[in-house]
Amino acid sequence: MAREIYAYKCRKCGHLHYPYRMVCKNCRANEHNEFDPVPLPKKGKLLTFIHLYSLPPDFEVPKLGLGIIELENGIKITGQIKILDPKIGMAVKGEVEIVRREGYDEHYGMVFYQV
Amino acid sequence: MRQVYVIGIGITTFARLEYPLCEIAAYPAMMAMKDCGLSGVDHLYVANMGGGRVNHQTGLASAVVDSLSLTPAGAETIENGPASGASAIKQGFLAVASGLHDVVMVIGAERMREVNNLEVTDFIATLTHPLAEYIYGVTLPSLAGMFTRLYMDKYGVTARHLAMVAVKNQNNALLNDFAHLHQEITIEGIIDSPEALTNNPYVAEPLRFFDCCPVSDGGACVILASGDVAKRLDKPLVRLAGLGQATDTHTIHERQEPTDLLAVRRAAGQTFQMAGIKPADVDVAELHDAFTILEIVESEEVGFFNKGEGHLALERGETSLTGELPINPSGGLKGRGHPVGATGVAQAHEIVLQLRGDAGRRQVMDARIGFTCNFGGFGNNVVCLTFIRES
Repeated sequence: MAREIYAYKCRKCGHLHYPYRMVCKNCRANEHNEFDPVPLPKKGKLLTFIHLYSLPPDFEVPKLGLGIIELENGIKITGQIKILDPKIGMAVKGEVEIVRREGYDEHYGMVFYQV
Repeated sequence: MRQVYVIGIGITTFARLEYPLCEIAAYPAMMAMKDCGLSGVDHLYVANMGGGRVNHQTGLASAVVDSLSLTPAGAETIENGPASGASAIKQGFLAVASGLHDVVMVIGAERMREVNNLEVTDFIATLTHPLAEYIYGVTLPSLAGMFTRLYMDKYGVTARHLAMVAVKNQNNALLNDFAHLHQEITIEGIIDSPEALTNNPYVAEPLRFFDCCPVSDGGACVILASGDVAKRLDKPLVRLAGLGQATDTHTIHERQEPTDLLAVRRAAGQTFQMAGIKPADVDVAELHDAFTILEIVESEEVGFFNKGEGHLALERGETSLTGELPINPSGGLKGRGHPVGATGVAQAHEIVLQLRGDAGRRQVMDARIGFTCNFGGFGNNVVCLTFIRES
């Protein structure tokens, strides 16, 4: 079963959140945990990006591509990008992969590729 | 609410300091006590972000109050990321303004260089959202880099403008004895020349090495007091006239408008309203230039210049030491250094020094109204302060 990254839909007003928050940003009327997980779409548009050369621990690569992507449903997400020559506005498609290894932990997140 | 005055100030050199964190906090406090001539305070706030994680010392205020032999006065450690300093000043203000205390000491201190660079980067990265940002390897320079690219795309800010901020601030720092960097740099050396890419490599492209502030150790202290106490001293009366604070979304991808710093705008608006002044009334400002882009954007968001025109004002020299509105006369975070918890208090220290007329070679002439902006996280928690000289 392929992994997904989820947005959270308020059961009271339907507002979609990514990432998770305890109280709905739109109606503030939900009870604790009254959210339904909704998988994020994979296709989107690259809003901004960088290549990081000053890397945090756990990353043994010469540089890391990071970007903010606006997905098809309007939700924005920060993710890694593996694109040779990125441009603002480029069409991208995400895959859920391991993005960071902390000791024995494997963290999954979205990595975006050029369409 | 009573009026609140700054009666004493003190600061350490910002550098790599080989003293324990507690001493880095206590030293400027002793300077500030000498400055105002008092021997005791009613309460103590210590701003610090990394004590527990980087220096293995939690409850810093409790350690400092004893080291200064100020017990049994109450003491609290205040943590608000890089805005810890201004937040602590805010708490000090509330204590005096409410009438609860007459004299409150506010210290900001940080010892970041007790650990290596990788650990410091990770420590600062803990400000980011754990699931939506941190796991991807997002660090604070990454967020600044993505923001910079958007600003370059939308408003035409160039690498040259960013370098101008770095050159201006490092040149100002040359006139500041406590500044971390005493290094003269030129636009040619960091942008134009063939060696520029080696002198000024990319950190989080488009952000480069000289666009990021150094990692520093240091401490600063201000002593706040009621009008009765302040008027008994033989010093220019500097009043903390306004405070403002606002928060924004934790992740930067959820910001309403990706090129806006709404929390800065709101916090600045509040502080001006409370002080009863307009942005145009400000004579000197200390903005939070952890990354050079931030000085440009903050100067727009607080209302000094129109949105998208901050870099034009910078080009015209309006924000230089001799310009109409000097920004970061101390060298800012870029030149003076950025011991995270100390910065907010160091900004206040500089403004008070300027308003008193004691800033020596970097004195802004006739400075009467000063403003500071302390930027927490990446724009998700901002505290702004306004100071007015009354005598």
